Amino acid sequence: MTRVSSEPMTPELVRSAAFTPARLGRRGLDEGEVRAFCGRVSDELARLLSSNTVLQEEVLRLRGRLLDRAGKPGVRPEDGHVQAVYMLSRAQKTADRCVADAQEYSRELAEDARMRRDEILREAKVRASMILEEAHASASKAAQAARDAPEPLPAAELQGLQAEIAYLRTFSDVCRTHLRAYMESLARSIELWERAEHEGASTAKRSVLHSSQHALSRNATHLWCRMR
Amino acid sequence: MDELRLKESFARAAAYGDEVALFFYSHLFLGHPELREMFPVSMADQRDRLLSALGQIVADVSSQEDLVPYLAGLGRDHRKFGTLAEHYPAVGASLLATLAHFNGMAWTEDLARDWTEAYTVIAAVMTEAAAEDEGLHPPWWGATVVGHERRTMDIAVLRVAPEVPFSYVPGQSVAVESEARPRLWRFYSMANAPRHDGTIDFHVRAIDGGPVSCALARSVAVGARLRMGAPVGTLRLDMASRRSVVLAAGSTGLAPLKAMIEQASGLAEPPRVHLVFGARTAAELYDLPDLEKMAAQWPWLTVTPTVSAEPQYRGETGTVADVIGRRVPLTDHDAYVCGSSAMVTATVNRLQSLGMPQNRIYIEDFGWSES
Repeated sequence: MTRVSSEPMTPELVRSAAFTPARLGRRGLDEGEVRAFCGRVSDELARLLSSNTVLQEEVLRLRGRLLDRAGKPGVRPEDGHVQAVYMLSRAQKTADRCVADAQEYSRELAEDARMRRDEILREAKVRASMILEEAHASASKAAQAARDAPEPLPAAELQGLQAEIAYLRTFSDVCRTHLRAYMESLARSIELWERAEHEGASTAKRSVLHSSQHALSRNATHLWCRMR
Repeated sequence: MDELRLKESFARAAAYGDEVALFFYSHLFLGHPELREMFPVSMADQRDRLLSALGQIVADVSSQEDLVPYLAGLGRDHRKFGTLAEHYPAVGASLLATLAHFNGMAWTEDLARDWTEAYTVIAAVMTEAAAEDEGLHPPWWGATVVGHERRTMDIAVLRVAPEVPFSYVPGQSVAVESEARPRLWRFYSMANAPRHDGTIDFHVRAIDGGPVSCALARSVAVGARLRMGAPVGTLRLDMASRRSVVLAAGSTGLAPLKAMIEQASGLAEPPRVHLVFGARTAAELYDLPDLEKMAAQWPWLTVTPTVSAEPQYRGETGTVADVIGRRVPLTDHDAYVCGSSAMVTATVNRLQSLGMPQNRIYIEDFGWSES
Protein backbone atom coordinates (compact mmCIF):
# COMPACT_ATOMS: atom_id res chain seq x y z
CA MET A 1 0.00 0.00 0.00
CA THR A 2 1.36 3.38 -0.91
CA ARG A 3 -1.11 5.48 1.09
CA VAL A 4 -0.59 6.75 4.56
CA SER A 5 -2.38 4.52 7.10
CA SER A 6 -3.64 7.46 9.18
CA GLU A 7 -5.94 8.60 6.37
CA PRO A 8 -9.61 8.08 7.21
CA MET A 9 -11.05 4.99 5.55
CA THR A 10 -13.46 6.01 2.81
CA PRO A 11 -15.11 4.00 0.04
CA GLU A 12 -12.99 5.91 -2.48
CA LEU A 13 -9.81 5.05 -0.61
CA VAL A 14 -10.66 1.35 -0.57
CA ARG A 15 -11.57 1.36 -4.25
CA SER A 16 -8.45 3.14 -5.39
CA ALA A 17 -6.07 1.36 -3.00
CA ALA A 18 -2.80 0.64 -4.79
CA PHE A 19 -0.61 -2.27 -3.71
CA THR A 20 3.07 -2.67 -4.41
CA PRO A 21 3.56 -5.63 -6.75
CA ALA A 22 5.32 -8.63 -5.23
CA ARG A 23 9.01 -8.85 -6.05
CA LEU A 24 9.99 -11.18 -8.82
CA GLY A 25 10.19 -14.74 -7.63
CA ARG A 26 7.91 -14.06 -4.66
CA ARG A 27 4.32 -15.12 -4.64
CA GLY A 28 1.77 -12.33 -5.14
CA LEU A 29 -2.02 -12.11 -5.20
CA ASP A 30 -4.21 -12.09 -8.26
CA GLU A 31 -4.73 -8.38 -8.97
CA GLY A 32 -8.22 -8.86 -10.40
CA GLU A 33 -9.37 -10.70 -7.28
CA VAL A 34 -7.95 -8.03 -4.98
CA ARG A 35 -9.62 -5.29 -7.04
CA ALA A 36 -12.97 -7.08 -7.05
CA PHE A 37 -12.78 -7.56 -3.29
CA CYS A 38 -11.86 -3.91 -2.71
CA GLY A 39 -14.84 -2.96 -4.88
CA ARG A 40 -17.16 -4.99 -2.66
CA VAL A 41 -15.65 -3.59 0.53
CA SER A 42 -16.00 -0.07 -0.89
CA ASP A 43 -19.68 -0.60 -1.75
CA GLU A 44 -20.37 -2.04 1.68
CA LEU A 45 -18.56 0.83 3.38
CA ALA A 46 -20.56 3.36 1.36
CA ARG A 47 -23.80 1.60 2.34
CA LEU A 48 -22.83 1.52 6.01
CA LEU A 49 -21.81 5.17 5.99
CA SER A 50 -25.06 6.29 4.41
CA SER A 51 -27.16 4.20 6.78
CA ASN A 52 -25.04 5.65 9.57
CA THR A 53 -26.11 9.15 8.52
CA VAL A 54 -29.77 8.14 8.58
CA LEU A 55 -29.33 6.53 11.99
CA GLN A 56 -27.56 9.64 13.29
CA GLU A 57 -30.50 11.76 12.29
CA GLU A 58 -32.86 9.34 13.99
CA VAL A 59 -30.79 9.27 17.19
CA LEU A 60 -30.65 13.04 17.34
CA ARG A 61 -34.38 13.34 16.68
CA LEU A 62 -35.15 10.83 19.46
CA ARG A 63 -32.67 12.50 21.77
CA GLY A 64 -34.47 15.80 21.16
CA ARG A 65 -37.79 14.21 22.01
CA LEU A 66 -36.33 12.73 25.19
CA LEU A 67 -35.07 16.18 26.18
CA ASP A 68 -38.55 17.58 25.56
CA ARG A 69 -40.11 14.93 27.81
CA ALA A 70 -37.52 15.71 30.46
CA GLY A 71 -39.14 19.04 31.06
CA LYS A 72 -38.43 21.16 28.01
CA PRO A 73 -41.78 21.08 26.25
CA GLY A 74 -42.47 22.31 22.74
CA VAL A 75 -40.44 22.38 19.55
CA ARG A 76 -37.02 23.95 20.06
CA PRO A 77 -36.16 26.70 17.60
CA GLU A 78 -32.87 25.06 16.61
CA ASP A 79 -34.66 21.83 15.57
CA GLY A 80 -35.67 23.32 12.25
CA HIS A 81 -32.14 24.54 11.70
CA VAL A 82 -30.72 21.10 12.49
CA GLN A 83 -33.08 19.58 9.91
CA ALA A 84 -31.86 22.09 7.35
CA VAL A 85 -28.25 21.32 8.23
CA TYR A 86 -28.87 17.63 7.65
CA MET A 87 -30.60 18.32 4.37
CA LEU A 88 -27.68 20.41 3.15
CA SER A 89 -25.27 17.75 4.41
CA ARG A 90 -27.02 15.10 2.37
CA ALA A 91 -26.95 17.28 -0.74
CA GLN A 92 -23.24 17.89 -0.18
CA LYS A 93 -22.61 14.17 0.21
CA THR A 94 -24.42 13.52 -3.07
CA ALA A 95 -22.28 16.13 -4.78
CA ASP A 96 -19.12 14.65 -3.23
CA ARG A 97 -20.13 11.22 -4.43
CA CYS A 98 -20.74 12.49 -7.98
CA VAL A 99 -17.34 14.18 -8.09
CA ALA A 100 -15.64 11.13 -6.58
CA ASP A 101 -17.35 8.82 -9.08
CA ALA A 102 -16.36 11.06 -11.99
CA GLN A 103 -12.78 11.15 -10.77
CA GLU A 104 -12.76 7.42 -10.24
CA TYR A 105 -14.14 6.87 -13.72
CA SER A 106 -11.53 9.15 -15.25
CA ARG A 107 -8.81 7.37 -13.25
CA GLU A 108 -9.97 3.99 -14.53
CA LEU A 109 -10.18 5.26 -18.10
CA ALA A 110 -6.72 6.79 -17.93
CA GLU A 111 -5.27 3.66 -16.36
CA ASP A 112 -6.89 1.48 -18.96
CA ALA A 113 -5.71 3.72 -21.79
CA ARG A 114 -2.17 3.66 -20.41
CA MET A 115 -2.24 -0.12 -20.14
CA ARG A 116 -3.42 -0.45 -23.71
CA ARG A 117 -0.85 2.01 -24.95
CA ASP A 118 1.89 0.04 -23.21
CA GLU A 119 0.50 -3.19 -24.66
CA ILE A 120 0.38 -1.77 -28.19
CA LEU A 121 3.91 -0.46 -27.85
CA ARG A 122 5.09 -3.79 -26.49
CA GLU A 123 3.43 -5.68 -29.34
CA ALA A 124 4.86 -3.29 -31.90
CA LYS A 125 8.30 -3.76 -30.41
CA VAL A 126 7.93 -7.55 -30.51
CA ARG A 127 6.69 -7.39 -34.10
CA ALA A 128 9.48 -5.07 -35.14
CA SER A 129 12.10 -7.32 -33.63
CA MET A 130 10.43 -10.32 -35.33
CA ILE A 131 10.59 -8.59 -38.71
CA LEU A 132 14.19 -7.70 -38.07
CA GLU A 133 14.99 -11.27 -37.11
CA GLU A 134 13.27 -12.58 -40.24
CA ALA A 135 15.25 -10.18 -42.37
CA HIS A 136 18.45 -11.31 -40.68
CA ALA A 137 17.51 -14.95 -41.15
CA SER A 138 16.74 -14.58 -44.86
CA ALA A 139 19.88 -12.55 -45.39
CA SER A 140 22.06 -15.15 -43.75
CA LYS A 141 20.24 -17.89 -45.67
CA ALA A 142 21.01 -16.11 -48.94
CA ALA A 143 24.60 -15.70 -47.89
CA GLN A 144 24.82 -19.41 -47.06
CA ALA A 145 23.31 -20.37 -50.42
CA ALA A 146 25.79 -18.18 -52.21
CA ARG A 147 28.64 -19.77 -50.29
CA ASP A 148 27.42 -23.28 -51.21
CA ALA A 149 26.98 -22.58 -54.98
CA PRO A 150 29.93 -23.22 -57.47
CA GLU A 151 32.21 -20.29 -57.33
CA PRO A 152 31.10 -17.66 -59.87
CA LEU A 153 33.61 -15.31 -61.42
CA PRO A 154 34.28 -12.20 -59.50
CA ALA A 155 32.56 -9.21 -61.07
CA ALA A 156 35.79 -7.38 -61.90
CA GLU A 157 37.19 -10.34 -63.75
CA LEU A 158 33.93 -10.82 -65.63
CA GLN A 159 33.93 -7.22 -66.70
CA GLY A 160 37.54 -7.52 -67.85
CA LEU A 161 36.74 -10.52 -69.96
CA GLN A 162 33.72 -8.85 -71.51
CA ALA A 163 35.87 -5.89 -72.45
CA GLU A 164 38.43 -8.27 -73.98
CA ILE A 165 35.70 -9.94 -76.06
CA ALA A 166 34.45 -6.61 -77.34
CA TYR A 167 37.99 -5.59 -78.15
CA LEU A 168 38.68 -8.81 -80.05
CA ARG A 169 35.47 -8.42 -82.02
CA THR A 170 36.46 -4.91 -83.09
CA PHE A 171 39.98 -6.11 -83.83
CA SER A 172 38.72 -8.86 -86.15
CA ASP A 173 36.62 -6.26 -88.02
CA VAL A 174 39.65 -4.03 -88.36
CA CYS A 175 41.74 -6.97 -89.57
CA ARG A 176 39.21 -7.85 -92.21
CA THR A 177 39.06 -4.25 -93.47
CA HIS A 178 42.83 -4.02 -93.62
CA LEU A 179 43.11 -7.41 -95.33
CA ARG A 180 40.63 -6.28 -97.96
CA ALA A 181 42.55 -3.07 -98.54
CA TYR A 182 45.74 -5.08 -98.77
CA MET A 183 44.25 -7.44 -101.34
CA GLU A 184 42.94 -4.54 -103.36
CA SER A 185 46.22 -2.72 -103.36
CA LEU A 186 48.02 -5.98 -104.29
CA ALA A 187 45.63 -6.47 -107.21
CA ARG A 188 46.16 -2.89 -108.31
CA SER A 189 49.92 -3.31 -108.10
CA ILE A 190 49.75 -6.45 -110.19
CA GLU A 191 47.62 -4.65 -112.73
CA LEU A 192 50.02 -1.72 -112.90
CA TRP A 193 52.94 -4.01 -113.14
CA GLU A 194 51.41 -5.96 -116.06
CA ARG A 195 50.68 -2.70 -117.86
CA ALA A 196 54.23 -1.55 -117.38
CA GLU A 197 55.55 -4.82 -118.70
CA HIS A 198 53.47 -4.26 -121.83
CA GLU A 199 54.88 -0.78 -122.26
CA GLY A 200 58.37 -1.98 -121.46
CA ALA A 201 59.42 1.08 -119.47
CA SER A 202 61.81 -0.05 -116.75
CA THR A 203 61.69 3.15 -114.71
CA ALA A 204 57.95 2.92 -114.48
CA LYS A 205 58.31 -0.72 -113.55
CA ARG A 206 60.63 0.20 -110.73
CA SER A 207 58.48 2.93 -109.30
CA VAL A 208 55.32 0.81 -109.39
CA LEU A 209 57.17 -2.02 -107.74
CA HIS A 210 58.48 0.34 -105.13
CA SER A 211 55.09 1.91 -104.32
CA SER A 212 53.27 -1.38 -104.11
CA GLN A 213 55.98 -2.82 -101.87
CA HIS A 214 55.66 0.24 -99.72
CA ALA A 215 51.85 -0.09 -99.42
CA LEU A 216 52.15 -3.77 -98.59
CA SER A 217 54.71 -3.28 -95.90
CA ARG A 218 52.70 -0.42 -94.38
CA ASN A 219 49.61 -2.61 -94.12
CA ALA A 220 51.58 -5.48 -92.68
CA THR A 221 53.23 -3.26 -90.06
CA HIS A 222 49.86 -1.88 -89.15
CA LEU A 223 48.36 -5.32 -88.70
CA TRP A 224 51.35 -6.48 -86.76
CA CYS A 225 51.06 -3.61 -84.35
CA ARG A 226 47.36 -4.21 -83.76
CA MET A 227 47.97 -7.89 -83.17
CA ARG A 228 50.30 -7.10 -80.37
CA MET B 1 -10.27 26.71 30.79
CA ASP B 2 -10.28 23.01 31.60
CA GLU B 3 -8.06 21.38 29.01
CA LEU B 4 -9.02 17.82 29.86
CA ARG B 5 -12.73 18.65 29.59
CA LEU B 6 -12.03 20.31 26.26
CA LYS B 7 -10.20 17.27 24.94
CA GLU B 8 -12.90 14.88 26.13
CA SER B 9 -15.68 16.86 24.49
CA PHE B 10 -13.74 16.99 21.24
CA ALA B 11 -13.10 13.24 21.35
CA ARG B 12 -16.83 12.61 21.86
CA ALA B 13 -17.64 14.61 18.73
CA ALA B 14 -14.67 13.33 16.72
CA ALA B 15 -15.93 9.78 17.19
CA TYR B 16 -18.59 10.64 14.58
CA GLY B 17 -15.78 11.20 12.07
CA ASP B 18 -16.70 12.79 8.76
CA GLU B 19 -20.23 13.58 10.04
CA VAL B 20 -18.81 16.23 12.35
CA ALA B 21 -17.12 18.17 9.57
CA LEU B 22 -20.13 17.68 7.33
CA PHE B 23 -22.41 19.17 9.98
CA PHE B 24 -19.98 22.03 10.63
CA TYR B 25 -19.80 23.15 7.00
CA SER B 26 -23.53 22.76 6.39
CA HIS B 27 -24.20 24.83 9.51
CA LEU B 28 -21.72 27.47 8.35
CA PHE B 29 -23.12 27.72 4.82
CA LEU B 30 -26.73 27.87 5.96
CA GLY B 31 -25.91 30.83 8.16
CA HIS B 32 -23.53 32.44 5.67
CA PRO B 33 -24.30 31.29 2.13
CA GLU B 34 -21.76 33.79 0.75
CA LEU B 35 -18.93 31.68 2.20
CA ARG B 36 -19.84 28.64 0.13
CA GLU B 37 -18.10 29.90 -3.01
CA MET B 38 -14.77 30.02 -1.21
CA PHE B 39 -14.78 26.23 -1.28
CA PRO B 40 -14.59 23.62 -4.06
CA VAL B 41 -17.63 21.65 -5.21
CA SER B 42 -16.50 18.45 -3.55
CA MET B 43 -15.88 19.02 0.14
CA ALA B 44 -14.51 15.54 0.99
CA ASP B 45 -10.84 16.61 1.18
CA GLN B 46 -11.80 19.83 2.89
CA ARG B 47 -13.54 17.92 5.70
CA ASP B 48 -10.49 15.70 6.19
CA ARG B 49 -8.32 18.79 6.44
CA LEU B 50 -10.63 20.46 8.97
CA LEU B 51 -10.74 17.38 11.18
CA SER B 52 -6.98 16.89 11.13
CA ALA B 53 -6.36 20.58 11.87
CA LEU B 54 -8.84 20.54 14.77
CA GLY B 55 -7.30 17.31 16.06
CA GLN B 56 -3.85 18.86 15.93
CA ILE B 57 -5.01 22.02 17.74
CA VAL B 58 -6.77 20.08 20.48
CA ALA B 59 -3.83 17.71 20.93
CA ASP B 60 -1.43 20.65 21.31
CA VAL B 61 -3.73 22.80 23.42
CA SER B 62 -1.47 22.45 26.46
CA SER B 63 1.79 23.20 24.62
CA GLN B 64 1.64 26.81 23.50
CA GLU B 65 5.11 26.70 21.91
CA ASP B 66 3.88 24.15 19.34
CA LEU B 67 0.40 25.50 18.92
CA VAL B 68 1.14 29.16 18.25
CA PRO B 69 3.45 28.65 15.25
CA TYR B 70 1.03 26.08 13.85
CA LEU B 71 -1.92 28.46 14.13
CA ALA B 72 0.09 31.38 12.79
CA GLY B 73 1.02 29.30 9.73
CA LEU B 74 -2.61 28.30 9.31
CA GLY B 75 -3.69 31.95 9.50
CA ARG B 76 -1.15 33.05 6.88
CA ASP B 77 -2.00 30.09 4.70
CA HIS B 78 -5.70 30.97 4.71
CA ARG B 79 -5.07 34.37 3.12
CA LYS B 80 -4.86 32.83 -0.34
CA PHE B 81 -8.36 31.36 0.10
CA GLY B 82 -9.68 34.88 0.61
CA THR B 83 -10.24 34.41 4.35
CA LEU B 84 -10.78 37.72 6.17
CA ALA B 85 -10.88 38.62 9.85
CA GLU B 86 -14.65 39.05 9.72
CA HIS B 87 -15.12 35.41 8.72
CA TYR B 88 -13.73 34.11 12.01
CA PRO B 89 -16.76 34.76 14.29
CA ALA B 90 -19.08 32.89 11.89
CA VAL B 91 -16.71 29.92 11.90
CA GLY B 92 -16.56 30.01 15.69
CA ALA B 93 -20.33 30.01 16.03
CA SER B 94 -20.69 27.01 13.71
CA LEU B 95 -17.87 25.17 15.48
CA LEU B 96 -19.60 25.59 18.83
CA ALA B 97 -22.98 24.56 17.40
CA THR B 98 -21.37 21.44 15.92
CA LEU B 99 -19.64 20.44 19.13
CA ALA B 100 -22.83 21.05 21.10
CA HIS B 101 -24.82 18.98 18.65
CA PHE B 102 -22.51 15.95 18.76
CA ASN B 103 -21.94 16.13 22.51
CA GLY B 104 -25.69 15.95 22.98
CA MET B 105 -26.63 15.81 26.62
CA ALA B 106 -22.97 15.99 27.66
CA TRP B 107 -22.80 19.61 26.46
CA THR B 108 -22.79 22.06 29.35
CA GLU B 109 -22.55 25.78 29.91
CA ASP B 110 -18.98 25.28 31.18
CA LEU B 111 -17.99 23.49 28.01
CA ALA B 112 -19.53 26.24 25.92
CA ARG B 113 -17.46 28.77 27.88
CA ASP B 114 -14.25 26.71 27.51
CA TRP B 115 -14.68 26.37 23.78
CA THR B 116 -15.58 30.03 23.31
CA GLU B 117 -12.44 30.99 25.17
CA ALA B 118 -10.30 28.51 23.21
CA TYR B 119 -11.67 29.61 19.87
CA THR B 120 -11.13 33.27 20.70
CA VAL B 121 -7.44 32.53 21.23
CA ILE B 122 -7.21 30.43 18.05
CA ALA B 123 -8.89 33.14 15.97
CA ALA B 124 -6.72 35.86 17.50
CA VAL B 125 -3.46 34.07 16.69
CA MET B 126 -4.61 33.28 13.16
CA THR B 127 -5.89 36.76 12.33
CA GLU B 128 -2.85 38.43 13.87
CA ALA B 129 -0.48 36.30 11.81
CA ALA B 130 -2.53 37.06 8.71
CA ALA B 131 -2.48 40.78 9.46
CA GLU B 132 1.31 40.75 9.96
CA ASP B 133 1.71 38.88 6.69
CA GLU B 134 -0.43 41.45 4.92
CA GLY B 135 2.35 44.01 5.26
CA LEU B 136 4.81 41.65 3.59
CA HIS B 137 2.99 39.73 0.88
CA PRO B 138 -0.13 39.87 -1.25
CA PRO B 139 -2.71 37.19 -0.29
CA TRP B 140 -1.83 35.40 -3.52
CA TRP B 141 0.24 35.95 -6.65
CA GLY B 142 -1.43 35.97 -10.06
CA ALA B 143 0.63 34.41 -12.83
CA THR B 144 0.29 33.81 -16.56
CA VAL B 145 1.41 30.66 -18.32
CA VAL B 146 4.05 31.72 -20.86
CA GLY B 147 5.29 28.27 -21.83
CA HIS B 148 3.73 24.81 -21.87
CA GLU B 149 5.77 21.87 -23.13
CA ARG B 150 4.32 18.39 -23.06
CA ARG B 151 7.36 16.20 -22.63
CA THR B 152 5.46 12.88 -22.49
CA MET B 153 1.81 11.83 -22.54
CA ASP B 154 1.60 12.66 -18.83
CA ILE B 155 4.37 15.12 -18.05
CA ALA B 156 4.42 18.79 -18.93
CA VAL B 157 6.84 21.57 -18.07
CA LEU B 158 5.03 24.86 -17.46
CA ARG B 159 6.71 28.23 -17.44
CA VAL B 160 4.76 30.96 -15.66
CA ALA B 161 5.33 34.67 -15.26
CA PRO B 162 4.09 36.08 -11.93
CA GLU B 163 2.44 39.50 -12.16
CA VAL B 164 4.27 40.82 -9.13
CA PRO B 165 7.75 39.71 -8.00
CA PHE B 166 7.64 36.35 -6.23
CA SER B 167 10.70 35.52 -4.16
CA TYR B 168 11.55 32.05 -2.92
CA VAL B 169 14.45 29.78 -2.09
CA PRO B 170 15.30 26.86 -4.44
CA GLY B 171 13.82 23.69 -2.95
CA GLN B 172 10.59 25.38 -1.88
CA SER B 173 7.14 24.69 -3.28
CA VAL B 174 3.96 26.64 -3.68
CA ALA B 175 0.21 26.00 -3.71
CA VAL B 176 -1.12 26.50 -7.22
CA GLU B 177 -4.71 27.02 -8.35
CA SER B 178 -5.70 27.02 -12.00
CA GLU B 179 -8.67 28.99 -13.27
CA ALA B 180 -9.62 25.73 -15.00
CA ARG B 181 -10.20 24.13 -11.55
CA PRO B 182 -11.18 26.92 -9.17
CA ARG B 183 -10.75 26.46 -5.40
CA LEU B 184 -8.51 23.42 -5.80
CA TRP B 185 -4.98 24.10 -4.66
CA ARG B 186 -2.08 21.70 -5.20
CA PHE B 187 1.57 22.05 -4.27
CA TYR B 188 4.28 22.20 -6.93
CA SER B 189 7.99 22.89 -6.53
CA MET B 190 9.74 25.70 -8.32
CA ALA B 191 12.07 23.90 -10.76
CA ASN B 192 14.57 26.72 -11.25
CA ALA B 193 16.62 29.14 -9.22
CA PRO B 194 15.13 32.67 -9.32
CA ARG B 195 15.68 34.27 -12.73
CA HIS B 196 16.13 37.88 -13.76
CA ASP B 197 12.87 37.83 -15.71
CA GLY B 198 11.07 36.30 -12.70
CA THR B 199 9.66 33.34 -14.64
CA ILE B 200 9.15 30.05 -12.82
CA ASP B 201 9.07 26.48 -14.14
CA PHE B 202 6.80 23.76 -12.78
CA HIS B 203 7.12 20.06 -13.64
CA VAL B 204 3.64 18.56 -13.69
CA ARG B 205 2.77 14.90 -13.97
CA ALA B 206 -0.88 14.15 -14.73
CA ILE B 207 -2.11 11.72 -12.10
CA ASP B 208 -4.91 9.43 -13.28
CA GLY B 209 -8.18 10.99 -12.16
CA GLY B 210 -6.40 13.96 -10.57
CA PRO B 211 -8.45 17.04 -11.45
CA VAL B 212 -5.72 19.65 -11.01
CA SER B 213 -2.68 17.77 -12.30
CA CYS B 214 -4.54 16.61 -15.43
CA ALA B 215 -5.74 20.14 -16.16
CA LEU B 216 -2.24 21.60 -15.68
CA ALA B 217 -0.54 18.90 -17.74
CA ARG B 218 -3.06 18.66 -20.57
CA SER B 219 -5.65 21.43 -20.89
CA VAL B 220 -3.83 24.53 -19.65
CA ALA B 221 -2.25 26.50 -22.51
CA VAL B 222 -0.06 29.57 -22.95
CA GLY B 223 -1.99 32.59 -21.74
CA ALA B 224 -3.88 30.70 -19.03
CA ARG B 225 -3.93 32.26 -15.59
CA LEU B 226 -2.89 30.66 -12.30
CA ARG B 227 -2.84 31.80 -8.71
CA MET B 228 -0.01 30.94 -6.35
CA GLY B 229 0.12 31.09 -2.57
CA ALA B 230 3.19 32.01 -0.56
CA PRO B 231 6.25 29.76 -1.01
CA VAL B 232 6.50 27.02 1.60
CA GLY B 233 8.79 24.16 2.53
CA THR B 234 12.05 23.80 4.38
CA LEU B 235 13.90 21.71 1.79
CA ARG B 236 16.92 23.74 0.74
CA LEU B 237 20.58 23.36 -0.07
CA ASP B 238 22.73 23.50 3.06
CA MET B 239 25.19 26.16 1.96
CA ALA B 240 27.31 25.87 5.08
CA SER B 241 28.03 22.19 4.46
CA ARG B 242 31.41 21.43 2.88
CA ARG B 243 30.32 17.91 1.96
CA SER B 244 29.55 16.53 -1.50
CA VAL B 245 25.92 16.26 -2.48
CA VAL B 246 23.88 13.35 -3.80
CA LEU B 247 20.48 14.25 -5.24
CA ALA B 248 17.88 11.49 -5.62
CA ALA B 249 15.04 12.44 -7.96
CA GLY B 250 12.05 10.24 -8.78
CA SER B 251 10.20 11.51 -11.86
CA THR B 252 8.89 15.07 -11.35
CA GLY B 253 10.46 15.03 -7.87
CA LEU B 254 13.35 16.34 -9.94
CA ALA B 255 11.91 19.89 -9.84
CA PRO B 256 13.20 21.21 -6.46
CA LEU B 257 16.52 19.38 -6.90
CA LYS B 258 17.08 20.97 -10.32
CA ALA B 259 16.44 24.37 -8.76
CA MET B 260 19.09 23.54 -6.16
CA ILE B 261 21.62 22.56 -8.86
CA GLU B 262 21.05 25.92 -10.55
CA GLN B 263 21.54 27.59 -7.20
CA ALA B 264 24.81 25.70 -6.63
CA SER B 265 26.06 26.89 -10.03
CA GLY B 266 25.99 30.42 -8.68
CA LEU B 267 28.33 29.60 -5.79
CA ALA B 268 31.98 30.56 -5.88
CA GLU B 269 32.94 26.96 -5.10
CA PRO B 270 30.08 24.62 -5.97
CA PRO B 271 30.11 21.28 -4.13
CA ARG B 272 30.50 18.04 -6.06
CA VAL B 273 26.93 17.10 -7.00
CA HIS B 274 25.78 13.69 -8.21
CA LEU B 275 22.17 13.64 -9.43
CA VAL B 276 20.48 10.26 -9.88
CA PHE B 277 17.31 10.79 -11.92
CA GLY B 278 14.91 7.84 -12.05
CA ALA B 279 11.81 7.06 -14.09
CA ARG B 280 9.90 3.98 -15.19
CA THR B 281 10.91 4.13 -18.85
CA ALA B 282 13.50 5.98 -20.91
CA ALA B 283 10.75 8.10 -22.49
CA GLU B 284 9.79 9.32 -19.03
CA LEU B 285 13.25 10.76 -18.35
CA TYR B 286 11.51 13.92 -19.46
CA ASP B 287 14.23 16.44 -18.62
CA LEU B 288 17.37 14.48 -19.46
CA PRO B 289 18.59 16.59 -22.43
CA ASP B 290 18.59 19.70 -20.26
CA LEU B 291 20.30 17.91 -17.37
CA GLU B 292 22.99 16.54 -19.68
CA LYS B 293 23.59 20.03 -21.00
CA MET B 294 24.07 21.23 -17.43
CA ALA B 295 26.45 18.36 -16.67
CA ALA B 296 28.48 19.15 -19.79
CA GLN B 297 28.72 22.78 -18.75
CA TRP B 298 29.52 22.27 -15.06
CA PRO B 299 32.36 19.85 -14.26
CA TRP B 300 31.26 19.50 -10.61
CA LEU B 301 27.93 17.97 -11.69
CA THR B 302 27.37 14.30 -12.58
CA VAL B 303 24.00 13.12 -13.87
CA THR B 304 23.07 9.43 -13.85
CA PRO B 305 19.68 8.54 -15.31
CA THR B 306 18.07 5.23 -14.42
CA VAL B 307 15.03 3.36 -15.65
CA SER B 308 13.13 0.86 -13.50
CA ALA B 309 10.71 -0.84 -15.91
CA GLU B 310 12.65 -1.21 -19.16
CA PRO B 311 15.31 -3.93 -18.83
CA GLN B 312 16.60 -3.38 -22.38
CA TYR B 313 17.56 0.26 -21.57
CA ARG B 314 21.23 0.76 -22.36
CA GLY B 315 22.06 2.85 -19.29
CA GLU B 316 21.55 2.12 -15.59
CA THR B 317 18.45 0.13 -14.71
CA GLY B 318 16.69 -0.22 -11.37
CA THR B 319 15.38 2.22 -8.78
CA VAL B 320 17.14 5.40 -7.74
CA ALA B 321 18.07 3.67 -4.47
CA ASP B 322 19.65 0.76 -6.42
CA VAL B 323 21.75 3.11 -8.53
CA ILE B 324 22.95 5.17 -5.57
CA GLY B 325 24.07 1.95 -3.91
CA ARG B 326 25.86 0.88 -7.10
CA ARG B 327 27.30 4.08 -8.47
CA VAL B 328 27.76 6.67 -5.72
CA PRO B 329 30.51 5.93 -3.19
CA LEU B 330 28.94 7.63 -0.17
CA THR B 331 32.02 8.83 1.63
CA ASP B 332 31.11 12.24 2.94
CA HIS B 333 27.82 13.33 1.47
CA ASP B 334 24.60 15.18 2.12
CA ALA B 335 21.58 13.60 0.43
CA TYR B 336 18.45 15.30 -0.88
CA VAL B 337 15.56 13.03 -1.85
CA CYS B 338 12.37 13.95 -3.71
CA GLY B 339 9.76 11.85 -5.49
CA SER B 340 6.65 9.81 -4.73
CA SER B 341 6.22 8.82 -1.09
CA ALA B 342 7.12 5.20 -1.94
CA MET B 343 10.30 6.33 -3.72
CA VAL B 344 11.30 8.65 -0.86
CA THR B 345 10.78 5.95 1.77
CA ALA B 346 12.74 3.35 -0.21
CA THR B 347 15.61 5.75 -0.95
CA VAL B 348 15.90 7.06 2.61
CA ASN B 349 15.93 3.49 3.95
CA ARG B 350 18.66 2.54 1.51
CA LEU B 351 20.77 5.60 2.34
CA GLN B 352 20.52 4.78 6.02
CA SER B 353 21.44 1.15 5.46
CA LEU B 354 24.47 2.41 3.49
CA GLY B 355 25.52 4.18 6.66
CA MET B 356 24.36 7.72 6.02
CA PRO B 357 23.31 9.49 9.23
CA GLN B 358 19.68 10.65 9.28
CA ASN B 359 20.58 14.30 9.82
CA ARG B 360 22.35 14.43 6.47
CA ILE B 361 19.30 13.24 4.56
CA TYR B 362 16.96 16.02 3.49
CA ILE B 363 13.42 15.42 2.26
CA GLU B 364 10.46 17.70 1.62
CA ASP B 365 8.38 18.22 4.75
CA PHE B 366 5.28 18.42 2.58
CA GLY B 367 4.19 19.75 -0.71
CA TRP B 368 4.60 16.76 -2.99
CA SER B 369 1.32 16.71 -4.85
CA GLU B 370 -0.33 13.36 -5.41
CA SER B 371 -3.52 14.37 -7.18
